[in-house]
Amino acid sequence: MTDNRRLRLEWASHQGSDCLQITGWSEAELSEMTRADAGALSRRLALYPSDALGASGGYATVPPIAGGFEVHDERVLFRPRFPFADSIDYTLMIDQPGSVEPETWTIRRASKASVPTARVLEIYPTAEVVPLNLLRIYVQFSDPMSDGWAERAIRIRSLDAGQPLENVFLPPVPELWDSERRRLTMLLDPGRIKRGLVPNLESGYPLADGMTVEISVDLGFRDARGQPLKATAQRTYRVGPALRSRIDPGRWSVSVPQSGSSAPLSVTLDRPLDHGLLRHSLSVQNSTGNTLHGTTAIGTSELGWSFTPEPPWECGPHQLVIEPRLEDVAGNTPARVFDRDICRPEDAPQANTQTRIPFNCGPVTR
Amino acid sequence: MVDLTSATSLDQFGLSIGTPAIRSVGPLAFGPDGILFVADNVGAFIFAIDPGDSGEGEPHDVNLANFDASLASYLGCSRDDVAIRDMAVHPTSGSVYLSVVRGSGDASVPVIIRVAGDGSIGDVALENIPHSQYEITDAADEDDPRLVTRMQLRTVTVTDMSYVDGLLLVAGTSNEEFTSTLRRVPFPFNGDAKSNSLEIFHVSHGKYETAAPIRAFVPYQGNTSILASYTCTPVVQFTLSEFDSEKHVMGKTVAELGSHNHPLDLIAYRHDGGEYLLVCNDRHPLFKIACKDIDGQGPLTVPDDSMDASPADPVTPGVGVPRQLLPHPGVKRMANLNGDAVLMLHQDDDGAHLRTYATASL
Repeated sequence: MTDNRRLRLEWASHQGSDCLQITGWSEAELSEMTRADAGALSRRLALYPSDALGASGGYATVPPIAGGFEVHDERVLFRPRFPFADSIDYTLMIDQPGSVEPETWTIRRASKASVPTARVLEIYPTAEVVPLNLLRIYVQFSDPMSDGWAERAIRIRSLDAGQPLENVFLPPVPELWDSERRRLTMLLDPGRIKRGLVPNLESGYPLADGMTVEISVDLGFRDARGQPLKATAQRTYRVGPALRSRIDPGRWSVSVPQSGSSAPLSVTLDRPLDHGLLRHSLSVQNSTGNTLHGTTAIGTSELGWSFTPEPPWECGPHQLVIEPRLEDVAGNTPARVFDRDICRPEDAPQANTQTRIPFNCGPVTR
Repeated sequence: MVDLTSATSLDQFGLSIGTPAIRSVGPLAFGPDGILFVADNVGAFIFAIDPGDSGEGEPHDVNLANFDASLASYLGCSRDDVAIRDMAVHPTSGSVYLSVVRGSGDASVPVIIRVAGDGSIGDVALENIPHSQYEITDAADEDDPRLVTRMQLRTVTVTDMSYVDGLLLVAGTSNEEFTSTLRRVPFPFNGDAKSNSLEIFHVSHGKYETAAPIRAFVPYQGNTSILASYTCTPVVQFTLSEFDSEKHVMGKTVAELGSHNHPLDLIAYRHDGGEYLLVCNDRHPLFKIACKDIDGQGPLTVPDDSMDASPADPVTPGVGVPRQLLPHPGVKRMANLNGDAVLMLHQDDDGAHLRTYATASL
């Protein structure tokens, strides 16, 4: 230490950016540092995350934090290239001429006080029974979330055995989010779903017919502000037999509204369909082939779909249009079975085209 | 920071000076004249940037133990706050580029790190740089009149990219449909892109086909073929000329690398007159495959249960191209360093390390 002076480290702001301010220098030091150029200053002073220096202390084996030191009157400022991180210690190292050991000073960056607000709105599917070849689940959050927590914070366990089930989900790398980072897609390991694949032979299905399982989301899942969830979330499923057949729109029932009304077109599906794809794989066209505007809703257990037009229904023929990308919860589409047995001709893929269900909106009859 | 010294023609590649709105950084790939492609899976864009690398200098070995600790120190955070997403090597300077996310959530900062020949760490300035961008759209939602809210539920997450003869090949995973699509994006970006749906015959399941998404791929054989690796873990060869139209393309499954496994990265390199491929995996070790064996390998279309019989020994398959197991555990990413060496990003209990291996030693 020079001239028995004592340095004071504090967080400050300079020209609108966060910086570390160091005061308490001796006049000789200030005079020397004022004359020094940026390169000389960075050889004399270096800032590190304290963790990075490890137990060794002394000279660092890692590069210092990117940024630059500046001298302003009696203050030395460090402006970081990247924002300071909260809740960690930073160590300033000062190279002292003639001294083997650098002089070190440490300051902690406090954490920002905040309260948890994010919660799980829903875990899809919402059906009570899922097929044992269930392909994916969605977790819908109330707030934008952080990356990197899915593998740690989403669990599945057998309620019968009271045991966690391992290797059920595909490692979520990269994690699959919607554009607002509120809905997470978790895929069940398809290698364990598709019959005959090595993992399936080795380990069997991740789920078993008759099993009761619980999917849970831990409090530890962090939102975009770094806060944990307000509450945990769970959904319980009973596991049923595998679902291995094409979606069959021919078995859907359509409740047709009357022309002039704004009553919804209600469709009862042949099986629970994928919640995500149901949102935008069905549409309604009028007799001229124009797609109608309106709002859609998904029924309980993803077993129904309805459409309310805006403006009201016109009299005449319409069509419910089903996109070929629509999948059920096991990945089957109207055109193909997810894990098709090529020895079953009835499961042969069909043309990957739209399916159309015509219906007629008639006037009120008395 | 890296100085902007490159004189890449802005006109030639349709770049303009500005600050690209990069929200996250993921897969990386180098294109012509040192243009760096950066996939942004949060913003749903692929950016082409000029990283300001003069391209001069000799490729060199890079060996940095506990590289993640150095990176955390440079970025001013703890090691837990550093996520290395991908790695690429500049084709002429040999500088190593890494896409790194520092922190998470709203506080996350996307960073492109450059490791120079002397091992020094810097970052590529992402402000006021020559760049252009391609939006990874999922066209079905674009003009969907039924959506009252415009919240985009369907997204495409880029898993890997490669540049081949004027085209950026992009493999991606949808967060809804379980399908496999390879996009072909012309560069310079002009908004025009084509895609092919892909299908493979999965060696281990014999009778069953799959349309699973590609996790990693690499062009080889003078960019006439690509080798793609899928989850759990078929390795499939595609002939690039078959991608000319927007048709459905069937790949040739040439190997099955084993169960409960996910491929992380693939690279190609030449040695002693032959071309070889390396596949690193999250659970299995590093595999080496000779390209000449792929040519000679007919499509695998019969069930193979050999690895069920000996799941602990994934090296000796009953069918498929021969593969050699290399003693390099924990390899997360790889890059062809200079033709004579391969750079590997290793992860172990101590942290992440960059290590260079001569191709002759592999």
